[in-house]
Amino acid sequence: MPRSDRFTAGASRAIVGASVAAALVVGCRSSDRTSREVTIYVSTDRVFSEPVLQDYGRRSGVKVNAVYDTEETKSTGLANRLLAEKSRPQADVFWSNEPVRTLVLKSREVLAPYRSPGAEGIPSVLVDPEGYWTGFSARMRVIAYNTTAVKKDEAPTSIFELADPKWKGQVAMADPRFGSTSFHVAALYALAGDEKMDDFFRRLKANGVRIVDGNSVVRELVARGDVKVGLTDTDDVNVAMEEGQPVGMVLPDRDGLGVPVMPNMVSLIANAPHPEEARKLIDYLLSADVERQLAQSKAVQIPLHAGVPGPKNIPAIDTFKPMTLDYAKAASRVEDVTNRLAPILGL
Amino acid sequence: MWGAWSSRTAVVGLALAVFVVCCLLPSGYLLAVSLGSATGLSALLIDARQRQLLSTTALLGVGTALVATIIGAPLGAALARVTMPAKALLRLALAAPVLFPPYIVALAWTYVCSNWIYTPGAAILVLGLVFYPLSMLATEVAMRRVDGRLEEAALLVAPRARVLRRITLPLVGPAVLAGGLVIFVLAISEFGVPGLLRVRVYTTEVFTAFAALYDFGRAIHLALPLLLLCLTVAAIAAWLVGDRLVTTSRPVGVRPVAFDDWRRAATTSVVAVLTIALVLPIAILVREALGARGLGAVLAGSREAIANSLWLAAVGATVVVIVGACLGYTRARAGSIGGRLADILLVVVFAVPSTIVGIGLIGLWNRPGAAGTVYGTDAMLVLGYLARFVPLTALALAANVRYVPVSQEEAAAVGGAGWLRTMWRIVLPQVRLGLAAAWMVALIMAFGELGVSILVAPPGEATLPIRVYTLIANTPPSHVAALALLQAAIVFLPLALLAAAMRVRERR
Repeated sequence: MPRSDRFTAGASRAIVGASVAAALVVGCRSSDRTSREVTIYVSTDRVFSEPVLQDYGRRSGVKVNAVYDTEETKSTGLANRLLAEKSRPQADVFWSNEPVRTLVLKSREVLAPYRSPGAEGIPSVLVDPEGYWTGFSARMRVIAYNTTAVKKDEAPTSIFELADPKWKGQVAMADPRFGSTSFHVAALYALAGDEKMDDFFRRLKANGVRIVDGNSVVRELVARGDVKVGLTDTDDVNVAMEEGQPVGMVLPDRDGLGVPVMPNMVSLIANAPHPEEARKLIDYLLSADVERQLAQSKAVQIPLHAGVPGPKNIPAIDTFKPMTLDYAKAASRVEDVTNRLAPILGL
Repeated sequence: MWGAWSSRTAVVGLALAVFVVCCLLPSGYLLAVSLGSATGLSALLIDARQRQLLSTTALLGVGTALVATIIGAPLGAALARVTMPAKALLRLALAAPVLFPPYIVALAWTYVCSNWIYTPGAAILVLGLVFYPLSMLATEVAMRRVDGRLEEAALLVAPRARVLRRITLPLVGPAVLAGGLVIFVLAISEFGVPGLLRVRVYTTEVFTAFAALYDFGRAIHLALPLLLLCLTVAAIAAWLVGDRLVTTSRPVGVRPVAFDDWRRAATTSVVAVLTIALVLPIAILVREALGARGLGAVLAGSREAIANSLWLAAVGATVVVIVGACLGYTRARAGSIGGRLADILLVVVFAVPSTIVGIGLIGLWNRPGAAGTVYGTDAMLVLGYLARFVPLTALALAANVRYVPVSQEEAAAVGGAGWLRTMWRIVLPQVRLGLAAAWMVALIMAFGELGVSILVAPPGEATLPIRVYTLIANTPPSHVAALALLQAAIVFLPLALLAAAMRVRERR
């Protein structure tokens, strides 16, 4: 064989060999799964959900493969991944931190029904009658205010007050097309009606509302005093309170429409690869232990099981009027409300 | 020169197959599936909203390309022709802004500018300040390759300014235009900055269709005008400069003329740009990061993700450069019309939004059989890197290969050398610096990749950007700033090594 041909043959073999080796190494690095495993996609903040799942892994001996989500304003996230994987699911369980994504997935037939014994004791309004989702550990939408700039008795008690000229240029909220804010505005439209809410958001826009990139940014703006008040979630406000920042919270509309309550929701994925392990994990997530853990963490989530002590900075759920809400109806309004709000708020 | 049955056919064929499978099929598959969606097609109707989106997107792309070129091209010329102390260090510092995710730079500016920052003009300025190094580096390389004899002859009868305007600039023009084209594509396919600054462009609409409405069909149809815009601009650029889009003349023995008369102006410009594009954003981020508490735990838990990211980015960059080099070679040796069409195709494929690539990869690989065994492994991340970064790498390496005369390959063929041996001994050694630069750029881009990675990363594994972005969901901007600085610092090290290598070469 001529020298050049020998070189060519040798180089070809080397390139093919190296490529195959690299593919095998890269491909196999994540294939060393144990037989007892469960895969969960989690949109609840990683800082809160990761310890819960690590505890479960330690207690059960099951390997928990978790995929965490980013804030919805920063990537397209896990709901899209679940939709794209629908024909051949990789996940067994979906743990969502708000209702909209779960209900979208239910309507697209990504979820399977499972009535967990852990759901016993949870208020029936927070359990899907068809069994596609079960609510646990709830958060609330609240008005955060800067305690240096606003006295407690002067803080707004209804979100409708935020359109008052008194708060001109002093209100912040997260982009209402995403996350818990999208659920909140959809719920308001479902309950109060389109005309009233369109008018409110027009006046809010005229009042110079600052639309920002997430609820944590709302909290930062209020804490710094860049704005006096903002719409955000209980866990965000609690982080600021724990850090000693000058932030207080008001449960809005507790005497009117009611306070918006957002439970976590857990669901079984249709055709899950590990259905038995998935059911056991769902049972665990719905246990009083997990609710206690989430209540005592910085997530300050309100337990839905009776008898589980609540978080210290947050009122118990039986001390105020929650928003009476058909979650499916509210979620079905999200697309329509998103399209209505875009021109009104200039999104 | 090489027959149809030579090793070139096998290698180039394999690279083309990889390009088709990794770069074309994911978005092509999704497009084919979405064409069945009647609701999505309404996105293509050119109503007032669509016209507004198209004009804002074009404004963002053209404006960013102009700003980046106005800043970057003179700096590139200065680095090539003006004597300055510690030039390698200056080059490194001037190139550093492109290391930061544009979103983070925009975030830094929002901390200090409250009102005017939420405008298209501000988005253009921010993106211009992030992307100008691309224009700078393209211009510098082109300026160094100008035939010094032409300038010397012109200087006998004309002042320096006129020589620069009439001789030098026309020679480096195609390279500057090519840099501007890449910046244009990067700007119009960027989501983070317009999203944060609430500038409505096609990428933010595509994102909203995915993230808020879960409407794949609408999202894909909304991406079509974006790709058509890219197609138009790339076609215009190819028509204007033809084959020179990926080439300038080969350097000859005479060194290009120095423009040391302008040293003071050049130094002032370098200091001003460094202050605005690098020092100020870093200072703002550091100020924010100093307020971060509990960051230690976040960083301590990131070791595995950092190692994972570096390993995958290194493997990804290597594969991207191998495929990109084969495609770049093919492009460089292609005929005029075929070459221009290839340029346009590569530019358009590069502009496909990352979410569409990610969803397409899932649709393509998450299925029973051999494909399904790949899905759920780290190999999906490498496939994502290939899909995202091969087009740009191929374009860049095509420009490098064009400097190698075909006559050298012909001589090797006549001497009996095979194609692989000719590549190994003649072509690749002459483009080794370009290969190193392409590998480094691919490494940096792969290391920071989020859009595709978040969709295809196997359960239980994470890269650093995924970990950072999943951790900042409920953490203050101070943590975001600190983690962004960490991410930039990790990719800074290999860049510093490249700068050191370039400095050694400069001294030779």
